[in-house]
Amino acid sequence: MFKFAFKNMAIKKAKIVLIVISIVISACVGILAYNISEQVDSGFKTTAAYYDIIIGPSGSSTQLAMNTMFFTDKPLGTISYEYVEQLQKDTRVNKVVPFTMGDSYNGAKIVGTTADFLEGKELREGVMYSEKFECVIGSAVAEKYSLSLGSTLVTSHGLTEGGHAHEGNPLTVVGILDETKTAYDNVIFTPCETVWATHSHSDVESEEAQEVLDDEHGETADEHTHTDEDAHSHQESSDTREEHGEVCAILVKSKSFNAYSQLSAEYGENSKLLVINPSEVLREVLENVDMSTQIVYILCIIILIMNIFIISVITLLNMYDSKKEIALMRLIGIGMNKINFVYIIQNGIIGFISTILAFICSRICLALMGGYVASMGIVLDTAKIYPLEIAIMAVVFVISVLPTVVCTLNMSKKDGINE
Amino acid sequence: MIKIKNVSKHFANETAIDYSDITFEKGKSYMLLGASGCGKSTLLNMIAGILSPETGTIEIAGEDMTNKSQKEKDKFRIQKIGYIFQDFKLIPEMTVMDNISILRLEKVDISGIDKVLDALGILDKKNKKVKHLSGGEKQRVAIARAIVKKPEIILADEPTGNLNFAIGEAVIKQLMEVSKDKTLIAVTHDERLGKYFDHIIDMNQVTGGRRDV
Repeated sequence: MFKFAFKNMAIKKAKIVLIVISIVISACVGILAYNISEQVDSGFKTTAAYYDIIIGPSGSSTQLAMNTMFFTDKPLGTISYEYVEQLQKDTRVNKVVPFTMGDSYNGAKIVGTTADFLEGKELREGVMYSEKFECVIGSAVAEKYSLSLGSTLVTSHGLTEGGHAHEGNPLTVVGILDETKTAYDNVIFTPCETVWATHSHSDVESEEAQEVLDDEHGETADEHTHTDEDAHSHQESSDTREEHGEVCAILVKSKSFNAYSQLSAEYGENSKLLVINPSEVLREVLENVDMSTQIVYILCIIILIMNIFIISVITLLNMYDSKKEIALMRLIGIGMNKINFVYIIQNGIIGFISTILAFICSRICLALMGGYVASMGIVLDTAKIYPLEIAIMAVVFVISVLPTVVCTLNMSKKDGINE
Repeated sequence: MIKIKNVSKHFANETAIDYSDITFEKGKSYMLLGASGCGKSTLLNMIAGILSPETGTIEIAGEDMTNKSQKEKDKFRIQKIGYIFQDFKLIPEMTVMDNISILRLEKVDISGIDKVLDALGILDKKNKKVKHLSGGEKQRVAIARAIVKKPEIILADEPTGNLNFAIGEAVIKQLMEVSKDKTLIAVTHDERLGKYFDHIIDMNQVTGGRRDV
C-alpha cells in the first residue's frame, strides 16, 4: 500500500512539490509569527528581570532602561560615583553594578562596568579584565574587527564612528565573550576606571591643545601663564577623576521586595536622580505598543485561519484531481477502505513533510532574523518550541489529511462509472 | 453460471431498461450486440456489481448478487471478475506493471503477470508508461489486468472499439485464448467478430430499448 502511495506520488512530482511549497509557506508564516512575538515578549521581560532597580540621572525612564539593558540610545548623562559607594555599603543591597558609556571603537560601544555585569556570560577565550585598560570584547566585535587576545584598540570619543581618538590610552583585549546572540556580542567591556582615565587624560590633552591654540592666537603670558603649580593642579585633578569618575547608571539587585521599595523611595526623592524598575519600564513599553502587539496577534490569527483555508483548499483540489484514479480503482474492485488508506498515506506524507519543512524553514528564518533582533538584546532561540507551535503543526497535519477522508467518503457515495 | 431474472434499471434521465431473462453458461463466450443505449454496458456493470438493478435478481454461481452489500460486491469483483473497460481505465502516467500492481492493494496474486504479458505480446512494454503505448497495446494491458487474477468471469465492454479491424481481431483471438473455461461476455458493435463467440445475443431484442419512467 505504501509502495503504491509512493508511486502515485512520484507520477505527480511537480504538483506535489507545489502543494508542499504552498503548505510550507503557509505553515511557516504562522509558526514564525507566533514564535517571534512570543520570544521578543519573553526576551524583553527576562532581560529586564535580573536587576530590580536602575538609578540614573533624571530623564527618560525608557532611555535609561534601554541604554543599560540593551546598550541602545545614548546615556541620559552622569551621576556621582558616591551613590555607588553608598549603595555598596547598604545592607539591603545584594549587588551594585556601576555603568558608564561614552566611547566607542569603530562604532562598537564601550561600556565601563565591573565584572559583575558580565555574570553568567561565558568567556570563549582569555580571562575577565582586572586592570585598567584591559577589556573583554563581544564575539561579534572580535570577528568583525579580527581581534584576538592581546590585540590593542584605540577607542574614540562618542558613541559613533569619527570621534576624537584616544590614542594615548589603547585597550588590550584580555578576554572574548562566547557568542550570546544578544547586544552583548557587539559591545566592549572594560573597568569603569578605564573610561574615567581615558576621559581625564583626554581632558588634559584637550586643555593643552586649547592652550596651544590660544598661544597661536597671540594670547599673552599675562593672560594665561603656565606655571609648575598649574601643571601639578592638572595632574591632581586628573588623578581624582580617575579614582572617582562619574557613572551613567547604577544597576542594583536588592535583597528583598521591602528593600527594593525602600531603596526606590529613598533614591526617588532625589530630584537629580531617576530611579526605575526595568521590568516595569519595559512592561510599560510593551503596553504602549500593546496596540501593535494586538495587531500582530490579530495578523497571526488571520494568517493561521488563511493557512487552514489554503491548505484545506489545496488538499481538496488535489483530491478532486485524483477522482479519476479513485473511480478507476473502485471500478476494478478496490475497496473504499483501501483507497481511503492509500490517499490518507499519500496526503499524510505530504502533510508530514510539509510540517517538518515548515518547522525547519521557521527555524532558518529565526536564525536569519536573530542577528537583527539581537541588536535589541533579545536572543531568538531556534531551539525554543512553544506548545502552540506544535498545535499549529498538528493542525497543519490534520488539515492535510482530513479533507482526504471527506473527499473519498463523498466519492464513495457515487458509483464511479461516470467519472 | 450467471442468471439474469426480471431485471430493470432506472436512470437519472427518467428512463428505464427492462431485461428479459438471460442465462450465461460457464465456459462459454457471449457476444452482446445492439444499438447504443439499449443496455449492453449497463448489463455488464450490473453483473460486475458496479450498478444495482431496481428490480429483479442477478445470480452468479447460485448466489443472488443484488442482495449483497457494496463491499461484498467489490470483493467479488476483484476476486472473480475480470472487467475490460471500454476506455481501458488505466492510469496513463504509471507503467504497465504499476497499473496491474494496483490489484495488490486487495492482495490479488499477480505472480503470473509475465506469462500473461508474454501471451499478449507486450512483455517488453512492462516498464513503459501507459501514455507511451498505442491503442492496441493499451487494450492488451487492460486485458492483462483483467485476466492475470484468473477470474471466473470476464466482462469486456467494446474491447475492440478503439482498434482497427485487424488489431481488434487479434485482440479478440487473444481474449478467446486466455478465457478458455471461463464465462466471457463481450459487448461489441462489430458483427464480423461474431464468429469467434459461442453465442451472439441481440440486446435490442432482450431489452426492447429504453422506456420513459
